[in-house]
Amino acid sequence: MKPTIKTLISLSLASAAGSLIAAPDPGERISFVSCPIVRDTVSVPCWLSDYDGDTYYLTIQSDVSATVQPPLLGHQVLVEGVVTDEPAICGGIVMEDVHLTAMPELDANCNTMLPVDERYVIDFNPRPPGPSAGRLAFDPAPGTPRVEPPPPEGPQTFDIYFDFDKGISFRHPRFLQQIFTTAGKLKPSRMTVTGVRGAHLLSNGTLLQEAQNTGRRRAEEVAGLLQDAGIEVNTDIKWIDARAEADGIDDWQSRRVTVTLTP
Amino acid sequence: MENDSGLISTQNQWNFSEMKIQTKDHHRLWLVIFTMTACFNSYGQTAQQAMASRSDLWWAPGEDRPLPAYIEYANDYGRVGLLNASGTIITDGHPFFEPLGSNGRGCVTCHQPSDAMSISVPTIQQRWQDTHGADPLFAAIDGKDCPNLPQGEEESHSLLLKRGLFRVALPWPPKNAEAEFDIEVVRDPTGCNTDPVYGLDGERHEISVYRRPRPAINLRYVSSSSFGVSPFIGKTGMLATLDPDTGRPVNMNMMADARDVTLKQQAQSAAHGHMEVAQPLTPAQLSRIQEFELQLYGAQAWSNGGGALNEPGGPSGIGPQAMANGSDGVLGNNTTRYVFPMENKWADLPEGSSEEEASRNAFLESVQRGHDNFFYRTFWIKDATHINTVGLGNPIKRTCATCHGMHMTGMDTANGWMDLGTTNYPWALEPPESPWSQEAPEMPLFKVSCRADLPPHAFLGRTIYTQDPGRALISGKCEDVGAIVIQQFRGLSARAPYFSNGSAANLRELVDFYDRRFNIRYTEQEKTDLVNFLSIL
Ligand code: HEC
Ligand code: HEC
Repeated sequence: MKPTIKTLISLSLASAAGSLIAAPDPGERISFVSCPIVRDTVSVPCWLSDYDGDTYYLTIQSDVSATVQPPLLGHQVLVEGVVTDEPAICGGIVMEDVHLTAMPELDANCNTMLPVDERYVIDFNPRPPGPSAGRLAFDPAPGTPRVEPPPPEGPQTFDIYFDFDKGISFRHPRFLQQIFTTAGKLKPSRMTVTGVRGAHLLSNGTLLQEAQNTGRRRAEEVAGLLQDAGIEVNTDIKWIDARAEADGIDDWQSRRVTVTLTP
Repeated sequence: MENDSGLISTQNQWNFSEMKIQTKDHHRLWLVIFTMTACFNSYGQTAQQAMASRSDLWWAPGEDRPLPAYIEYANDYGRVGLLNASGTIITDGHPFFEPLGSNGRGCVTCHQPSDAMSISVPTIQQRWQDTHGADPLFAAIDGKDCPNLPQGEEESHSLLLKRGLFRVALPWPPKNAEAEFDIEVVRDPTGCNTDPVYGLDGERHEISVYRRPRPAINLRYVSSSSFGVSPFIGKTGMLATLDPDTGRPVNMNMMADARDVTLKQQAQSAAHGHMEVAQPLTPAQLSRIQEFELQLYGAQAWSNGGGALNEPGGPSGIGPQAMANGSDGVLGNNTTRYVFPMENKWADLPEGSSEEEASRNAFLESVQRGHDNFFYRTFWIKDATHINTVGLGNPIKRTCATCHGMHMTGMDTANGWMDLGTTNYPWALEPPESPWSQEAPEMPLFKVSCRADLPPHAFLGRTIYTQDPGRALISGKCEDVGAIVIQQFRGLSARAPYFSNGSAANLRELVDFYDRRFNIRYTEQEKTDLVNFLSIL
């Protein structure tokens, strides 16, 4: 990414006089769209993003079991998180409750790959950049007892969340499976599927909305998949616009489909 | 036991304890059969310059000779071994081996024992010479660039003769999915995709793509449903295809595009598509084919550089017997099971007491390094759909084994289609286009235009140029354009060229493709090691 004048100034100021730039306060929620940056390290790469003169640490590479999965070069990333005062990782401000989603359109400017810089060391490494030691990075330890959910009673509601503008993807098989299994036990008489067109209020005040038809597309896709998988009940398909929900707090939750199974 | 084509075989179930004797026996037989330039090393083994002529190796459908319990066939790197776990196969009347088709073909026509149950370009060319193009192998339906071309002329069969490719005609738009994109024909060197009958807009509404036969060995692994099988496909969330017999979802790891998902379904469509059978195969025939396929194992068994690959005490993941012993549906990209278990057996071998032993040990050490390179050497995997898009990030710093993670075969463990770039522009092999170039493009080129109201393909946008849309021809999904199901790595030495579109003529070109594709910058030594490693699988 080309450094903007502002980042250049902030860099020089920071080096000249310690940190004069007001970094966001711990506890502050931020939400922005920017290019992701990947920095190599001697172990796994880490992911960063620059916004408003600061560099944020997003996540590290691990494997498919990670809750925060790395973004995609070639696309901007929509970042949500809460700033912490933890020591920087890979040179980036650490956030908690991080949610990332790739913006769907291609952006050739998002192509920054930084080489190993020995000042940045990842000292936690649940999955090396090669074969695992036999289980996924964030899977429960072997022998952890599996808790069976109680048999479903009454209406059951499931929220499933989506990438920006996107439909069903690799994120969803286990959630679809869960709905499918519950339906098998509950024997519902009715299914309601509500697709939501998500909206984000970004830290800079911009309202960012998903494509016009997203709510409908998601609702129809999810309903179709569940029906074709064998949940053959009366199904109401609805869609709504989450514009009014967008307040800069957990706006990622507006990119969703809600499925209700009614006995 | 020897048989009439001069090959080495044993009638009995083959196992490690018998192997020593049989190996010796083999070499005696090789000598008897090939009174050729046999030279000995200090182990009393022949250096494998000895090769039966390809004409002798041809297995025509309807030949009623048994397929022995164990048999080896020579190739450029040594010998491939085929192991029938259920003992000798009587091929007389066997639906895999009989010319059931109206065009005289059997399954064996394109799945030749000498070629690890695929078919190599040298074998195809030899067959052309031996029969002046009259063998059913060259049947008009798919052994020609297009059925409407003059039969028996070399140019009409150019893709088969040069790259080992058969025409695969698929319905367009897809039968069971809604297409998210339109296809235009940009270049049609075979004439088939613009033909009034066979073309995209022709009477039959078909698209013709050109693909390599995939090896019909170790199919217990390929068809395994022990891992990653759910009603919803792990990589996409779409519905998994169901086994038509059981109604249950299966692992979709077969054919370049997973259009067939069980061995029976596959056999039925092969009989219809490749063999032009008049009547569908009967349930009894299908069961017999499936039974045969599930007990047949294959892998390289002898290496010209490294000697016997199945000596007792050797690596547990190498050789045909290892394939018969191994577990299917197991993740191998880990240091508990490994993709190709070798237990470092070929690391740090002694110098050797003779020149031959020294050279053999040096070769085996190179194989070990090639393995370690495959398993541990990191590089940036970038812009590969269904690996970079499934939560790992783009790019990801990983190894060959990240995509090739299935224990024993190197396939992907579940739903193995990915866009490596073999068929999609800009990575697909294309000849230089310039006023000075004599080379004409051989493959068709399609322009895929994805719907504007849906998100684009993550790395290629809404306009994609491709030689073969792969999985997308079945799923109709823009994100699947150019995604090809990973083949197993076994018997590679017997079945060049590689990749579904035959774009890597040999193992070195395959390694070079990766070097370019992912900017790996291998050293010459690393490339040699990788080739040596792949050659002994
Ligand atoms: C004309 C040549 C030809 C004939 C005859 C033929 N095949 Fe094939 N076979 C192919 C090609 C080409 C493919 C790959 C097609 C693709 O990827 O779309 C293939 C793929 C396969 C596969 C998939 C293996 C894998 O790992 O994905 C199996 C199994 C197979 N064939 C079995 C058979 C059987 C059984 C028969 C007889 C009923 C048969 N074939 C007849 C050419 C042939
Ligand atoms: C991004 C995922 C990915 C990575 C990384 C990868 N491969 Fe592959 N590989 C594939 C796919 C997809 C295919 C099938 C492509 C086709 O047929 O067009 C394949 C096919 C192969 C084949 C089988 C060819 C055949 O025709 O039977 C071999 C051998 C192979 N790869 C070796 C390697 C080696 C060596 C490396 C490391 C340098 C590697 N692969 C890295 C995805 C990958």
